[in-house]
Amino acid sequence: MRRTLISIALSVVVLAAAAGLIWALADQQAPPLIQINAQVLGPQAIGPLPPVVAPPGNPPSSAKIRLGKELYFDPRLSADGAISCATCHDPALGWSDEGPTSAGIRGQLGGRRSPPVSNAAYSPLQFWDGRSPSLEDQAKGPIQNPVEMGNTHEAMIQTVSGISAYQTEFKAVYGEGPITVDQVAEAIAAFERTVVTTDSRFDRYARGDHGSLTPLEKEGLEIFNGKGHCTACHWGPYFSDGRFHNLGVPPLDPEKPDLGRYDVTKNPRDRRAFKTPTIRDAARRPPYLHNGSEKTLESLIEFYDRGGGKDPNLDPLMVPLGLSKHEKAALVAFIKSLDSLNPEVANVKPIDPRDLPR
Amino acid sequence: MKKTLTILFTVSLALLVFGQTALAIPAFARKHAFNCNMCHVGFTKLNDFGQRFRDNGYQIPGQQGLEKTVFESAFPLAMRTTAGYSLYGTGGQSTGGFHIYNLDLLSGGVLHKNISYMFIYTPRIDEPAADFTGPGTGDNPAQLAAIESAAVVFSNIVRDKLNLRVGRFEPGFQLISSKRSYYILQPYEIYSFAGTRNSFDFSANQIGIEATGRFRPGLKYALGYINGTGANPDNNKFNDVYLALSKTFGKGEGQSAGQRIGVFGYLGWQPTALLVPIVSPVGDVNGVDNRGYYRFGGDISLNWRTFNLQGMAFRGVDNRDFNDFEPTLNYAFWGGVAELDWAGLPNNRLVASLMYNWVRPPDYNAVHKLDACSALVRYYLGSWSAVNVAIHAEFTHRQLGSVAPIKENLFTILLDFDF
Ligand code: HEC
Ligand code: HEC
Repeated sequence: MRRTLISIALSVVVLAAAAGLIWALADQQAPPLIQINAQVLGPQAIGPLPPVVAPPGNPPSSAKIRLGKELYFDPRLSADGAISCATCHDPALGWSDEGPTSAGIRGQLGGRRSPPVSNAAYSPLQFWDGRSPSLEDQAKGPIQNPVEMGNTHEAMIQTVSGISAYQTEFKAVYGEGPITVDQVAEAIAAFERTVVTTDSRFDRYARGDHGSLTPLEKEGLEIFNGKGHCTACHWGPYFSDGRFHNLGVPPLDPEKPDLGRYDVTKNPRDRRAFKTPTIRDAARRPPYLHNGSEKTLESLIEFYDRGGGKDPNLDPLMVPLGLSKHEKAALVAFIKSLDSLNPEVANVKPIDPRDLPR
Repeated sequence: MKKTLTILFTVSLALLVFGQTALAIPAFARKHAFNCNMCHVGFTKLNDFGQRFRDNGYQIPGQQGLEKTVFESAFPLAMRTTAGYSLYGTGGQSTGGFHIYNLDLLSGGVLHKNISYMFIYTPRIDEPAADFTGPGTGDNPAQLAAIESAAVVFSNIVRDKLNLRVGRFEPGFQLISSKRSYYILQPYEIYSFAGTRNSFDFSANQIGIEATGRFRPGLKYALGYINGTGANPDNNKFNDVYLALSKTFGKGEGQSAGQRIGVFGYLGWQPTALLVPIVSPVGDVNGVDNRGYYRFGGDISLNWRTFNLQGMAFRGVDNRDFNDFEPTLNYAFWGGVAELDWAGLPNNRLVASLMYNWVRPPDYNAVHKLDACSALVRYYLGSWSAVNVAIHAEFTHRQLGSVAPIKENLFTILLDFDF
């Protein structure tokens, strides 16, 4: 009897140890995940955006923001003087472009849709695949991307340094010394941090003005955070978890599919996963998804209702939703209530080309 | 009654005070700021998302390690109670009254990446049971005090393929969950049916250990090793084992999308006599003359839009020593349930359901032949994350025995309050 008890106890201990070991090993094999600090851990309630926090290395000032705004709208930063950031991130098109993917210098087509610059300040990682850690880092990319602005940093600096009004402005912001790429990027980033939504009909509702959403939009909100499962990924005031998911979006070229986050992490679980975009102002910038494959919000909702597309690495959060016609219409109506009303975002002509530094 | 109300009041107050600072069970919903329909077709029935959340150890699927633990969020407490009015009729007579049908206190959450727990306590409700026993005397409480669940889940020991549940839990062969049925008064009858001296209850939560997991494409298993005696002491050294397999076709889990079929088998032993001289320090008596019993059956769940047709049936065989009617024969029976659920109105604010239960005991035991037809309508007053209330109306017509059957009707309208 005693022997039986001892052997049972022993086997339990061995089993538990084995389980613990397997578990610890499994844990170590876990994919390298983006660093999201503890406050951001897990879904948060949707609501108005908090004030933007600028990184300590790039404190904003009104002169720097003004400078950044000019650089952002200045096509002279590109090789042929025709493309500015605003060509692909146009305030009139929801800070994106006509799509489906972006056309850069000499009409060259990129493989991805232009994501909005508005509210990008809240995104922990930039680009569809999160390969850039900050707006400052990001802003240097397009200038020398051969299919975007097609320039070199050196040539761009030469151009900017040759414009006397810019010289004065850079001196006022950064003091004496030659203009650098980092300064250009910092100024653009400082400007981008002002293109944030402080007001929309949804935000008014969230702040207590219950009349600012129609009954249909309110239903849409309930479905967004309920039966639609949308807040499982589009959570928090930015309506994005900042993480990467594979929705089974059909690739433009099935022979050479865009591997998304996988190209950055080389983790098989990231294959064809893309960053959750914010849906603030989404109604203003069709078409949708990283390759612009869904033309309208209505067709995008149909896509979700089917449980997304087909992919062996489909995100486990994607399931068919069983939405009725009315529920789909309510979701679309709700998304439209997220259109910004504040001038920083909604202003379609923030700067007149004639006002650019000469 | 007074005691129950005092408990209810105190708990409500406590939850209001502590619950508000937090942001489901409602505790999960609050933690994630989701509303109930994120995980439920309409609470308490899980949808596919909720099923995956449960399977993943109460962690958002694919996001384990990326969400708050119970130590980083407000303490996860939840409560569910149902109270209302029942009208019961049989043999041309009827009776009725107000009742509290149940009260569950729940807590569940993530302790550490891939370690979570679920705890459910049901306090005693000293009211006559509002079931088919009719008006009671007070020594037939509506609910017994019990720890219904106390389980720790180790998830993703092998990612998706191996999860362990240890403690008292709802065994995984119950794919059509009696714990998450819309019906509050009408049980899945076949679940609690057995030979006269066998106390095994298919729907009871069990103590033991269970391995679950999933394999692509849509193949799931549950393998368990448990006492098999629910909340009673296990008076034998033999433990019960079960295996359930299910396969889902199409996207989804077969709860609210996709089509699912499953098979399961259960093998158990119980003593038919007790050797009283030996009692373990934890209360087990040395049961002798252990006899076996088994159950095997299948279940199916079909979805079309927001309609869900689910059904299950099984055959049970208890050793002849459990059979008081024909002691020379094994007690063999079968039965099942078919349920058609529908959800409507935006965000599934309205659900309706029809259900048929049947139990077919052996011929010599025809008095226990049972047929029950039920219908229900539930309307959810809101779509909130911290709390939800449903108005619930349920009707059952039941017929017991094949010669001169007893016919019974039970109508209940109640409030289902969860937060
Ligand atoms: C030719 C079109 C084009 C031009 C010009 C362009 N972009 Fe982009 N931008 C894109 C595309 C396409 C992406 C997405 C690329 C990817 O994810 O790989 C992008 C991504 C971004 C992002 C990341 C947003 C997010 O949510 O991840 C920011 C910020 C951004 N661009 C800012 C700028 C700035 C600042 C400039 C000017 C210096 C600029 N872009 C010029 C097309 C362009
Ligand atoms: C599994 C996480 C997840 C869920 C659930 C989810 N989304 Fe998305 N959403 C994403 C990702 C990731 C993308 C970008 C995917 C891509 O381009 O490959 C996206 C893209 C979008 C876009 C396009 C935005 C743009 O600028 O292109 C909209 C609008 C949107 N989702 C709305 C919704 C709605 C409405 C729901 C609920 C029905 C929902 N999402 C559910 C992760 C999710």
